[in-house]
Amino acid sequence: MTKTKLNKKKPLKLFNISHKLHKWLMLFIGVQFVIWSVTGAYMVFFDIDYIHGDSLVHTHQQKINPKNLTYSSKALFERYPAANNLSVGLLVDVEVYRFNVGKRQYIINARTGEQLSPITKKHANTIATHAYTGDGTITNTQLISRTPPFSVSPRHLPVWQVDFDHFSAPTLFIAANNGKVVVKRHQFWYLFDWMFRFHIMDYGDEQDPNNWLLFFIAIFALIATLSGLVLTYFKVIKAKLRKNKQKQQADKRSVGEQL
Amino acid sequence: MMVWVRKIHKWASLLVGLQMLIWVGSGIAFNMLDHKKASGNTYRAQATYSHTTNATTDLLPVEQILDTFPNTIELKHTSLLAQSYYLLTTQKGLYRRSTNTYTLVNALTGAVTSIDQKLASAIAKASYQGPGEITSVNLLLNPSDDFPKFANPSWQVNFDDELATTVYVEQGSGSIIGHANSNKRFADFVFMLHFMDYNQAGSFNNVQIILFAFVTLWLTLSGLIWTIYMLSNGKFRLKKW
Repeated sequence: MTKTKLNKKKPLKLFNISHKLHKWLMLFIGVQFVIWSVTGAYMVFFDIDYIHGDSLVHTHQQKINPKNLTYSSKALFERYPAANNLSVGLLVDVEVYRFNVGKRQYIINARTGEQLSPITKKHANTIATHAYTGDGTITNTQLISRTPPFSVSPRHLPVWQVDFDHFSAPTLFIAANNGKVVVKRHQFWYLFDWMFRFHIMDYGDEQDPNNWLLFFIAIFALIATLSGLVLTYFKVIKAKLRKNKQKQQADKRSVGEQL
Repeated sequence: MMVWVRKIHKWASLLVGLQMLIWVGSGIAFNMLDHKKASGNTYRAQATYSHTTNATTDLLPVEQILDTFPNTIELKHTSLLAQSYYLLTTQKGLYRRSTNTYTLVNALTGAVTSIDQKLASAIAKASYQGPGEITSVNLLLNPSDDFPKFANPSWQVNFDDELATTVYVEQGSGSIIGHANSNKRFADFVFMLHFMDYNQAGSFNNVQIILFAFVTLWLTLSGLIWTIYMLSNGKFRLKKW
């Protein structure tokens, strides 16, 4: 008699404790679970390559025409004896030499020898339009030479910001000294960045998942989840098993009666 | 309405409950991980740019190279093991990790150089400053497990140090893709659990996590409504908690 009583009491106790833990913990940190699930859902629903703006730009496969290198590399080296890391490529449809002298980058027109860097506003617009896959027009172009927005690394400075007219507000950033599209952003990226910060509970500046706030909330979250799982076990799995058993017994009984 | 809220909460918890536990657990693991260690670069030698190639008169003029290789999209002067090369891009991807096709030309002789096993081992060794020795070198035509998003063929160079460091050298260009070791692999495993990325595509945009995230939304939102309901009905009393 006492034995059966004990057996009955034990799981009930676990259930009661879990129920209380779950209820009270979730009162305080439940909101963070909502934030985690909403921000997490945004991040998994939207393709990360789309978020990164990969679909905003073309990767042109136009080949270099060696005949267009009428300004010889020999002349270039005579003019810039300290030129380092030389490359030859196309800037929109013009063959160019790119190199650096010390930390300074240069673009030289390989047909004429004309120095193209730092590129002009008009040139930045041409480059951006050439790269951009959408059909919107440019709404604004501005040079950022000192403090970039947080979405652009300072190593790209100076950089041209070219905004396009589209509901997702795409922006291409073109480095003034190499003419390349170095950063691409649109509203979905900014939203993603915001979601990510909320997901890792980063309410400061650095995007660091090693923060103490996250640690403590996550430890409580672990307890809340475990207690929730206990409730699921009792309320769903065990309840279902009991029901099935009762049903079986009832079936048996009815079968027995028929016999 | 509350009957439905409770039902949704119950059944959603049955579907995603265990995954919730994995999410929170792996989240705590991220929080405690030493991200410097987990980068896999414990034995990575600092890249030395001191020997970056100056445009000396010894080099073949780029015009001559471009005449010989008319399919070039971009030509870059580069160096591998202090030797000058021209790296020609013949198919260009958006990123370095995207599909790119290269031709590597010796900048002094004009000879096309392919990164063979021997050269790849030497390049890997130059980027490595740990105590280990190379035990095996494999050519991988498909993305490696350590760098699943890197599309191009690579040489996998394994070292026998205590962290089981592996250095990946891009076959087309000879550049270092990255270092991986047991610390990075553990972090990658935790990421895999958190992202439900069971086929290790290095992505969190897979079907299973999208479905689970959808159900989880129902779980947390029903929980939120339930809590608000309990609050407004005085179910939270400290005296009879």
